[in-house]
Amino acid sequence: MLSDQRAMLTKYAYIQTRRLKVLHHFFPEKTEYPRDPRFKSAIYDLEHMKIFSLLEDENVRFDAEEIYITNGHIHLVKMLDEFYLGTKYLIIEVKDSGAWRGEIWKNIISYGILVFILFMLFGLYLAKLFLKPMRDSIVLLDRFIKDTTHELNTPLSAILANIEMMDTDVMVEKNKTKLARINIAAKTVSVLYKDLTYLMLEEEKENHNEEIDIKELIYNRVEYFSVLAQSKHLEYDLDLEEASITMDRRKFTRVIDNLISNAIKYNKRNGTIGIQSREGMLVIWDTGIGINEEKIPFIFDRYMRFNDSEGGFGVGLSIVKKVLDEYHISIEVESKEGEGTKMVLRW
Amino acid sequence: MVKPIMLCLVLVSGVFAEDAYERYCVECHKELPTSLQRMFMRYLLVYSGEENVKAGLKHYLKYPLKEISVMSDLFIDTYGIKEKTKLSDSDIDEALDIYWDKFKVFNKLK
Repeated sequence: MLSDQRAMLTKYAYIQTRRLKVLHHFFPEKTEYPRDPRFKSAIYDLEHMKIFSLLEDENVRFDAEEIYITNGHIHLVKMLDEFYLGTKYLIIEVKDSGAWRGEIWKNIISYGILVFILFMLFGLYLAKLFLKPMRDSIVLLDRFIKDTTHELNTPLSAILANIEMMDTDVMVEKNKTKLARINIAAKTVSVLYKDLTYLMLEEEKENHNEEIDIKELIYNRVEYFSVLAQSKHLEYDLDLEEASITMDRRKFTRVIDNLISNAIKYNKRNGTIGIQSREGMLVIWDTGIGINEEKIPFIFDRYMRFNDSEGGFGVGLSIVKKVLDEYHISIEVESKEGEGTKMVLRW
Repeated sequence: MVKPIMLCLVLVSGVFAEDAYERYCVECHKELPTSLQRMFMRYLLVYSGEENVKAGLKHYLKYPLKEISVMSDLFIDTYGIKEKTKLSDSDIDEALDIYWDKFKVFNKLK
């Protein structure tokens, strides 16, 4: 650096001053100006008159700083306290190799990287610190769901199986309605249970891809949810053409179940649920409450719920998105508040 | 008759041939052990530049004082302080110009 050069040039100036002192003493018997291979020098008097000079660059600045760079040379202007040979200003000159600049850049870069890394680490630490409560609550929720889902399976299966086995023919109408309500409630819990177990336990299971007949599967799921749909007096508008898709049946069922159950859940009474299938396309629409346009981009986020009137954890659509992304199936959401929502799947 | 006139002319021309420096400086200083060259170097050591040296010398010639002398205490104690000059400013300036030109360091280093 230039400060290192200054130290070196100051040392040279000191050496040259001692030599000038000797020459002053022996002048005029000795008149040979002292020379040094390491540097060039010049002497000027108080009135800036040149007494003698060996400089390669005669552009000397008396009013500048003590050290300066001029045309590829570094000059150090040293003021003497005792004017040997009348010298007030001793100029020491060395070639400016530019090495000190490289040194500066090297230092700037290395210290810059060091500071950058330190800031990064500090930023990471701060981010971790701030995100910890959020992460903790997510972990807690995940753990809670994992623990409870284990315990849900047996009673839920028992309820559903017994509802199926009941002989409704001998029942009075009042009890039939009650049973239907139990069935609806049990199936709602069952969908939720399947979502949660999928999310917590089965998600990482290996895929068993197979060609699925969409028409058949839709009829099956519509049948499954028919009790739920009837409870809200919903109508199905099915426009199903032969179509197929190759994927894991379990995962595709989760997608269909979630889309149909949402269409039922958020529909108005006496509304319609439409399902349309074509080769490479599946549309599920409803005449429900719709979604606010600003909120559409966030509907696939986990634990994101827009309507507190309906139950659930807000995991359904996040599962749908995950599965669709895995199979490179696009989903398009068209929704108008108060009019309904349309989900279009393309593959 | 011619001979004495010639002798006078030679003597007068001899006196006028001497410059101001030789007339006013060398005459007295030749008695001293320190040369005018060494004294010049002492002035140079203290005053550095031409104007400064001349101004310093002129001031000392007009107002000699032990405290402002560039010579060593030993020299002053031995030979004392010079008397105040009676020369005119122009004579002093002329003598100092010659003195400077004679002993200046400029163009003598190699």
